[in-house]
Amino acid sequence: MTFTLFKNELLAVFRDGRGIATLLIGFLLASISTWTSASTHARHDIAHDAAEGAARNAWNEREGDSPHSRAHYGDYVFRPAGPLSTLDSGLQAVTGRVIFTEGHRQNSAVHKPQQEAASLLRYDRLEPATVLQTLLPLILILIGFGTISSDRESGRLKLLIIQGARPLSLLLAKSLALWVIGFSICALVVGMHLIFGEEIDFSRTFLFLALHLAVLWIVAVLVVVVSARSRHSGSAAALLLSFWVISAIVLPRFAAITVTTLDPLPTRDVFQASMDQDREQGMDGHNPRDSRRQELEKEILSKYGVSSRSELPVNIGGLIMQADEEYGAQVWDKHFGGLEEHLMRQYASTGLFSLVNPLQSADRLSMAISGTGLTSHLDFLRATEEYRREMVRKLNEEDAFGVTRSEGGRMRRTTAQDFYTGFNGFDYQPLSLRVQLQKSRLDILALCVWLLGSTVLLFLTGQKIKRGGVL
Amino acid sequence: MIFAALQLEFRNLLRSPLRFIALILVLGSGIFVLIKGQQDIAYWKSTITEGQKSQEESIAEARGYLSTGEAGPANRSWVNIREPHWQDYYAANRMSRIPSPLAGIAFASAESGATTIRINRFADPLLAQGNKIENPALAAAGGLDLVTVLAMLLPLLVIALGIEVGGYERAAGLLPLVRVQSGRDRSWIWARSIAVGIITAIVGGCLSLLAILMGDSDLESGMILLLLVFGYVVVWTTLLGVISQISRSPSHGAVVLGAAWIILCVLVPSIGVERSASLAADDFALDLTVESRNEASESYQIPNKELFASVLSRFPGLAEHVPEDRQSARYSAIDGLGIIALEDRMLKREARARDYRDLVARMSWWTPSLAFTSALERLAGRDPESVWNFRRSVVSAVGSRMEHAIAADWKGKPLGAQNFEDIVSSTPGEIKPLPLHWGKEFIILIVWSIGLLLFGPLVARRLGR
Repeated sequence: MTFTLFKNELLAVFRDGRGIATLLIGFLLASISTWTSASTHARHDIAHDAAEGAARNAWNEREGDSPHSRAHYGDYVFRPAGPLSTLDSGLQAVTGRVIFTEGHRQNSAVHKPQQEAASLLRYDRLEPATVLQTLLPLILILIGFGTISSDRESGRLKLLIIQGARPLSLLLAKSLALWVIGFSICALVVGMHLIFGEEIDFSRTFLFLALHLAVLWIVAVLVVVVSARSRHSGSAAALLLSFWVISAIVLPRFAAITVTTLDPLPTRDVFQASMDQDREQGMDGHNPRDSRRQELEKEILSKYGVSSRSELPVNIGGLIMQADEEYGAQVWDKHFGGLEEHLMRQYASTGLFSLVNPLQSADRLSMAISGTGLTSHLDFLRATEEYRREMVRKLNEEDAFGVTRSEGGRMRRTTAQDFYTGFNGFDYQPLSLRVQLQKSRLDILALCVWLLGSTVLLFLTGQKIKRGGVL
Repeated sequence: MIFAALQLEFRNLLRSPLRFIALILVLGSGIFVLIKGQQDIAYWKSTITEGQKSQEESIAEARGYLSTGEAGPANRSWVNIREPHWQDYYAANRMSRIPSPLAGIAFASAESGATTIRINRFADPLLAQGNKIENPALAAAGGLDLVTVLAMLLPLLVIALGIEVGGYERAAGLLPLVRVQSGRDRSWIWARSIAVGIITAIVGGCLSLLAILMGDSDLESGMILLLLVFGYVVVWTTLLGVISQISRSPSHGAVVLGAAWIILCVLVPSIGVERSASLAADDFALDLTVESRNEASESYQIPNKELFASVLSRFPGLAEHVPEDRQSARYSAIDGLGIIALEDRMLKREARARDYRDLVARMSWWTPSLAFTSALERLAGRDPESVWNFRRSVVSAVGSRMEHAIAADWKGKPLGAQNFEDIVSSTPGEIKPLPLHWGKEFIILIVWSIGLLLFGPLVARRLGR
């Protein structure tokens, strides 16, 4: 029975010109977005590799530096795209692409070229994730808002029930029909990704598909339930379109502004000032009169059992710089750690809105699966800082120990060019899918609640029709 | 007829809780974001004040050394306030972008760059960041400010209030009655649409007036804001009128109006965003990072003849100060090459930025929503052109600093208090908002309204068939 009704429902969509037109638009949008996103992504990857190569060449080809000068010369780190950024580019447009890593200080990610088209950044990008999370639910609404209400208006619903169709089977069949339409568009997107994509991550791709199929089931059920409970198709359309506008457009923005208002971030000046204040408690590696530096000098001299710097077998400057660096790292950990917690707290607070907005939980989970969300961005920043510390530590050690003393006490540097060319460039390994999902527990919970809730609602609506409540 | 339609729509508004809630939601969210916008301006102004405070402290410290004859702080023996480098360092002027009176209406815009920059001869406005730390996860949501409320929610209000215009009359069989009573049924549908437009314009006008009053805006900016809002409402009212003419029932009207909103406010702009992502795909700022660092390193290898020729072609006024011993003047000349390279990078970057602006301008013809958004952002002084105007002023000030420093270095004499005051006074402090350009976007809104009036019925009838 359910299968026959399901087949009839699908046929009805294909017989209706509006249904076919809407479906075709859906397929067209899905194909165009996947194809353009893949080609943009390919260009991004080529440019990213070229940028990394240019930075590495500059590092390797530079000659005549002392390790300390090299620490000031620094290196550039370029943010890679996430593992599934062809499908969901996530936060890429609003996060900086380049970080300058150097001795003594941590720099922020800069350069957001899309901000030159600021007016456009108020809107979503036409990429596969937008099509699946924003436009596809709308397509299902446009195809299905009258699926039961028009049957009721025409008297067909009563006829079906009299003929023995069980209300729950009817609702299930109609929901399944809508879901299959969504599934076909999802499958097209994922299929194109598998065909045109490079370095496919199958587990992420599979989860991406599963997530969107779950969301589409929620939307399909909601459309059928609202259609079943509305007296007229008009009111069903108005209610469902309002739901879409609120969920897809208004609530995410409202969630962001509410959280920013209730739990604001510090300004850059305030953040920097408190960091500088703590930094000043440490030593100033470049200031020979700094008292903490002078104390460390004494310690080093006594450790080597000598009375003056010229008797040391090492370059004391390198040791002082490393001590300065380690203190700076502690300060950074304290302050950036606090800022990171703050950012994640804001993110978690907006996550509460997922409980009332399934499209938002889908958006956040999609970014997590694609490795393009906030957790990935913060992980990239941490990895960059670790790379910087390791680079500076090696340079400081070479600065300290890569010297010999002649009999006259003159220090001679022994650092060869091989030392610099032996440095490995920054190689970022994205956060594992498991960790990403662990950090998205609230969104997973919200989605499960919506899945369960919508299915229960479908069952309850079937019961109501059975009792003749909405006939 | 319009008066009767207006009375009906006001009655409908009071009778229908959904319509009333929609109106209150738009008004409420508008007021909320206006208050947030004012907080943002207050924060922007406080950043400027804080910068000025630091500037005054630094300048006062230098004046103290110059008056007492000290070279600098006691624990920093290498500081010498009579050297060009340290005068440049202590003359820590801040250049600030002054917020335009209506800056609060677009506080959620994704503008780049700093609002205040500390000037010295090496300042780089291309990589300077704003004072706001943003949570990217929240920024990516698209932002909610008055521009968003007006551009996206005001059309929704038109739809919510006018969802049954035409469709209801047709479905209930009232049109023949209207025709008998008033002669033309189309006029009645247009009258109802215009009445909905008037109510929406009142809401948009109230929010705009509030923005004008809260921002203490000048008359010109205020009038432009009102004109743009009314122009935008006219476009959506015309669209409502056209769709109502073919709407068979309220549900049919809802779907067509909803589809129109989605196409104009979501789909077409999203194509633009995709295009901007494509433009940005291969831009990793190599020119601002690796290449500029390489250039700076390579400048140490440039022979004297070429080096001085480059510097003198940019700063011809320095010709009289070139010392005979060019080798001793090399370092400051190399610094001079830095600003020449920065100006060059600025030009190239601006050309790239123009591609994005052209994209927005092109896309604006495709949807009135984007035209309206970019006009309001410009009115608020938060558009990329305002950022570039500020960057140009900063680079010009940096160039002037550099010229001072090179001249002082080449003269080879210790600098005094007067030299320091010259540097301080030669750097401008505030950069005023750009003159208002809004005509093109207003024309787009008019073209859309006329186009909808002329071709809308034809297209609608064809689609209806």
